[in-house]
Amino acid sequence: MRGSVSAIRKEFSGLRQASARSHGAMRFRPVLPRLPDPVFRGRLHDARTATVVGRALGAAVAVCFVTGVISHYLQQPPGWAVNLLPSRPVWGYRLTQGLHVASGLAAIPLVLAKLWTVYPRLFVRPVVRSVLHALERLSIAVLVGAVLLELFTGLLDTVEWYPWPFPFRQVHWALAWVVTGSLLLHIAVKAPVIAANWWRTVAMDALEGPDRRSFLAAVSAAVGAVTLATVGQSFGPLEDVALLAPRHPDHGPQGLPVRQTAAEAGVTRERLSGWRLQVAGPNAYELTLPQLRAMKQHSVVLPIACVEGWSKNAHWTGVRVRDLLDRAGAPHGARIRVVSLERGGNYGVSVMGASYARDPLTLLALALGGEPLAPDHGAPARIIAPDRPGVLQTKWVTRLEVLQ
Amino acid sequence: MTGRVVAGALGLAGIGTGLAVLLTDPHVRDPLDVAVWLVAALLLHDAVLVPLVLLVGAALRARGPLRGGLIVGGCLTAVALPAVLRPGPVPVSLLPLDYVRNWLFALGAVAVVTALAAGWALLRSRWGRRARR
Repeated sequence: MRGSVSAIRKEFSGLRQASARSHGAMRFRPVLPRLPDPVFRGRLHDARTATVVGRALGAAVAVCFVTGVISHYLQQPPGWAVNLLPSRPVWGYRLTQGLHVASGLAAIPLVLAKLWTVYPRLFVRPVVRSVLHALERLSIAVLVGAVLLELFTGLLDTVEWYPWPFPFRQVHWALAWVVTGSLLLHIAVKAPVIAANWWRTVAMDALEGPDRRSFLAAVSAAVGAVTLATVGQSFGPLEDVALLAPRHPDHGPQGLPVRQTAAEAGVTRERLSGWRLQVAGPNAYELTLPQLRAMKQHSVVLPIACVEGWSKNAHWTGVRVRDLLDRAGAPHGARIRVVSLERGGNYGVSVMGASYARDPLTLLALALGGEPLAPDHGAPARIIAPDRPGVLQTKWVTRLEVLQ
Repeated sequence: MTGRVVAGALGLAGIGTGLAVLLTDPHVRDPLDVAVWLVAALLLHDAVLVPLVLLVGAALRARGPLRGGLIVGGCLTAVALPAVLRPGPVPVSLLPLDYVRNWLFALGAVAVVTALAAGWALLRSRWGRRARR
């Protein structure tokens, strides 16, 4: 134990000498009077603590990034992939997007703990040792700034609050790459330190073992508490303890939350009067609501899974989309364009690949839980398909177009 | 070593991809806006939040269960604040709960658990001392 303590003293005196050198060099530059360098007496700002917290944070960022990429490409698939997106498992997007938001929330305590641990390194002297050192510090600044802003924008998106001057989705997507890239770079740079501190050794344990364990237990408890207070928005069994979840599975018209109301979408009773479903294809036709109801009805249990992380299973009844397409003489591999009465916003029109359109579970739903759809759920008719982001489950459908 | 070089190169490629999206996406009208917010995030964290946390920790001599309670309560607060502070009007079915009440309830639960943990730690250290005597 004493050996390790003297090692730390040596490190500190080394730092002091380094800062003395930099003070000496400062005579040649006009500098404003400055605060003395802070002194950190706490012993948990060490590489072992940073490694333990850092690898948990790395895992959370990895899960968040992968699930985010999945969500991005499900919403905006490249042209060649449109017909290949999987419609199974039906709960696939519910799981990945639930994980995306849960891992992002779990990353908040982890990133705060990690940055607290390494905070003294902000004051390392000399400020810049070499070009390589300058680049490393710059990359750390990029990593820290990007990860903080990424988590902040994601957290505020869950409450649909956008106080910044840039678009959320594009910047959240761009920063995800910056965060993951600069994290990989950081791991590459720090690999020897990480490797040396990956396993607990007797020396580090003797030095600050109990205090470190208590700190790590607290950070784990914070991750657990944040998760417990929010994950019920997508994980039913915990909905009763979802104290801080921005959406609650039980709150909404017909017992199901909505992302956008009819009023927000500009869908009024007037615009719905005389509503017909138009199907454009080789044999185009139109159907009134009673005619749709007279067709063979199917019932499915499928989740609504929102990009904002909440999700809930529901019981839908309606006409199979593939029955509608067959009647229009659509070829089997055809994609379809779904057009909504919705005004403004990005989701008034969606394109559905053949894997969803031909799926027997994909419905033009007319009823939810045995009742006609509420206006906010897309009355008179909406799309519900398995394993698909909620924003693509187009509501207030007025037209289906067969694309070649 | 090869692994490190590959990881580093992949990392640079990732940063490049992100910057390319920021600079070319037509929806991002002024990438400088993002840069300003990045720097602001860095400054708010490094110059305000962490010094504040360090001062509170030092002032309370926070160690063990007390430090744990502060960490858990602080993180719950960070997650609760957007729901509490979001300006209206709030869409139907968004934020349906009483978040101020729930946040205070969560902090209360943390305080109770912290007190129990502190009591348990105290008892254990007393028993330990008695056993050593």
